[in-house]
Amino acid sequence: MRRLFVVITAIVLTGVGLAAWGTVASAREAGLSELERAQQKLPPLPADIKARKRFNIAVKCDSPPFGYIGARSQHAGFDVDIARWFSRFAFGKSNRVTYTCVTTPAREPALTTGRVDMVIATFTYTADRETRIDFSRAYYKATGRLLVSNNSSINSTRDLAGKTVATTSGSIYDRWIKNCFKDTKLIVTDSFTNALLEFRNGRADTLMWDDTVLLGIAATDPGYKLTNDLFLPLPYGIGMKQGNTALKRWVDSRLNLMKKRDLFFPILKNSVPPRQVAPFANNILRPKQTFTYNTTDLTTQCS
Amino acid sequence: MIVALVATFLSDLSSFVSENFDELAAGLRRTLVVSAIAIAGAFFIGLVLGAARAARLPVISQLAAIYVEVIRNTPILVQIFFLYFGLPQVGIRLDAFTVAWVSVTIWGGAFNTENFRAGFEAVPNRYREAGLALGFGRLATFVNVTLPIGGRIALPSSINTYISVLKNTSLLYVIAYPELTTTALQIQALTLETVETFTVLAVTYLVLVWTMSALIRLLEARLALPEERS
Amino acid sequence: MLPDWVEPVARYMLVEGLVGTLKIAAIALAGSVLVGITLGTLLTINFLPLRSLIRLYIEVWRGLPILVTIFIIFFMLPAVSQQLEFDAVTAAALGLILWGSAQVAEATRGAVQSIPREQHEAAAALGFGWIGRHSFVIMPQALRRLLPPLVSLLVNIIQNTTIAQVIGATELLEAGERQSERLVAPAPIGLGEIHAFEIYAGVMAIFFLISFPLTRLAAYLEHRLV
Repeated sequence: MRRLFVVITAIVLTGVGLAAWGTVASAREAGLSELERAQQKLPPLPADIKARKRFNIAVKCDSPPFGYIGARSQHAGFDVDIARWFSRFAFGKSNRVTYTCVTTPAREPALTTGRVDMVIATFTYTADRETRIDFSRAYYKATGRLLVSNNSSINSTRDLAGKTVATTSGSIYDRWIKNCFKDTKLIVTDSFTNALLEFRNGRADTLMWDDTVLLGIAATDPGYKLTNDLFLPLPYGIGMKQGNTALKRWVDSRLNLMKKRDLFFPILKNSVPPRQVAPFANNILRPKQTFTYNTTDLTTQCS
Repeated sequence: MIVALVATFLSDLSSFVSENFDELAAGLRRTLVVSAIAIAGAFFIGLVLGAARAARLPVISQLAAIYVEVIRNTPILVQIFFLYFGLPQVGIRLDAFTVAWVSVTIWGGAFNTENFRAGFEAVPNRYREAGLALGFGRLATFVNVTLPIGGRIALPSSINTYISVLKNTSLLYVIAYPELTTTALQIQALTLETVETFTVLAVTYLVLVWTMSALIRLLEARLALPEERS
Repeated sequence: MLPDWVEPVARYMLVEGLVGTLKIAAIALAGSVLVGITLGTLLTINFLPLRSLIRLYIEVWRGLPILVTIFIIFFMLPAVSQQLEFDAVTAAALGLILWGSAQVAEATRGAVQSIPREQHEAAAALGFGWIGRHSFVIMPQALRRLLPPLVSLLVNIIQNTTIAQVIGATELLEAGERQSERLVAPAPIGLGEIHAFEIYAGVMAIFFLISFPLTRLAAYLEHRLV
């Protein structure tokens, strides 16, 4: 009697175990094939990357929140998260990427010499760069912002008459103010750090620059804040070697897939403080929100 | 065929230089200004602290020793980072030009202190004793005997330090101080004429350094001690 | 004891950064010594074309700032030919080898030429040819005299690896800079705090701990030689 009981328990337990394992396995398989199924009608992965079974992707390593080194010495950031999704799309796992750290001037050479497959490193689209490399569709709409002190009377670019703006020389902000804000005084410096110093020292009423950089300053310095208006959108794109149409088709289609599934929103939440998620949600691709590159010269458009 | 290639390259170079002359000249001027300030500063620091160390003056000797060992045993690039990016955290915000000349002066001064100390200590004792025997006090002996002779002994190593100061100004690229290297890289980023930019940059530095070396060898020959002239 | 932020920063700086520094330094030292001693010995041969070429090599790579040399390798060579493309670490090591070998060549020339004529004459009298003379009599003595400057060179190479930071190679200073940038970013990425002062002071301290004993060693060897 006892032996029968033990045997039945063993069979039941084995059965439960097999059922559980089967459910998990089929769930995983279902998850994998779900991703695969979603991509069935999309352009295929280029053959050389498929054969290599890894991506070679250049990212920034000192530019939070887009590319930086995390507390566990891992690559992290908005751009890195996109790379991880690409790895999932292509190989089912998010870690099939070899990252190369690049500095700003090293991004183009990394592509033209074939060192990396693509560059996801705060790479702003310009028509000039487009003559030498290929860009994917826009994936992040970086804009200009104004940094002001908390008690400033400046609430938007409409309040700049008679005020002094600090920015970097040769930047789009420099040209835009010279073209469109004739009664605004301009202080230009050779580097962002010096422009920030001019603003901090009180020689400028406001600092005009990229939103993501100014965000960091506003977040850490309680005496400053960003005004709410966005201007001069200059989207980032993923850089690829010129003529690599197979890869460009693959990248564009997967970016669109991520947009459709609102996958950029959780990436954004990982990258910016909770207070800033709502305003920056306007800068990412979302199901009902898209943006493209501007081929016209924005610095001459004044209204 | 090769002649044609070289001719094309040279004409590309000359048009590059004439197009970007103003910026390159401005960058070169800043390099020379910062180097001049730093060389002068390093000279005085080396002279004073080297003398203090050679004379074993209490307190100053030890402090100078710490200064020398810390600066010589840490990379100058880290010193630049520390001055420009680290000091603001404790409230000292220096602009790029100040960090530029301060960092290279401090670096040059440390090496020059050792140069002068070695020079002063190499002055044969008999000269100093002769000075004292003639009734000069310690300070007068130093100024009239040790300094001129020790200074000449220290000349070769000091000169190497000054040349290194000039070369190290290129590192100010990291704080975007628009000296020659920074300016050249900015031009390269805009025009993408990579080969021309770097050729001009390299040639300029070589001309500067080789000229300094040659001038200094001339100076060395004229200032050599009589017993070393042969 | 230590603030929370220190541990991950220190771990990254030591494990990734310092290891990267030592790797670049090791390659650079090996290359500099091999190339430098060869060139320096050849420099003592009384053959003008060879001597002039080597002299040109020495004056160029000692005359250029190391940063400019590294920029040339990293940015200019790929523009000349796609085959000449090097990653940041290799470019930095090559730049350091060009500079270091020029230093070693000059020091070797000095060391070999400081061996008194009598040694050459005695060896020749014993029947050694040029190669035999140099291999068994001259070079061993010259290499002993090279030891203090070689130790100084090692210190300089270790310190000059920081120049690789400018092209983004992973070494100690760059590791510190990356962590410093991360800490400045607001949460959830970093802490929204600036710790550049501590981090760069820490980098200086680590370099000091490595360089100071080596500098003392060089001085001691110099002393022993005399």
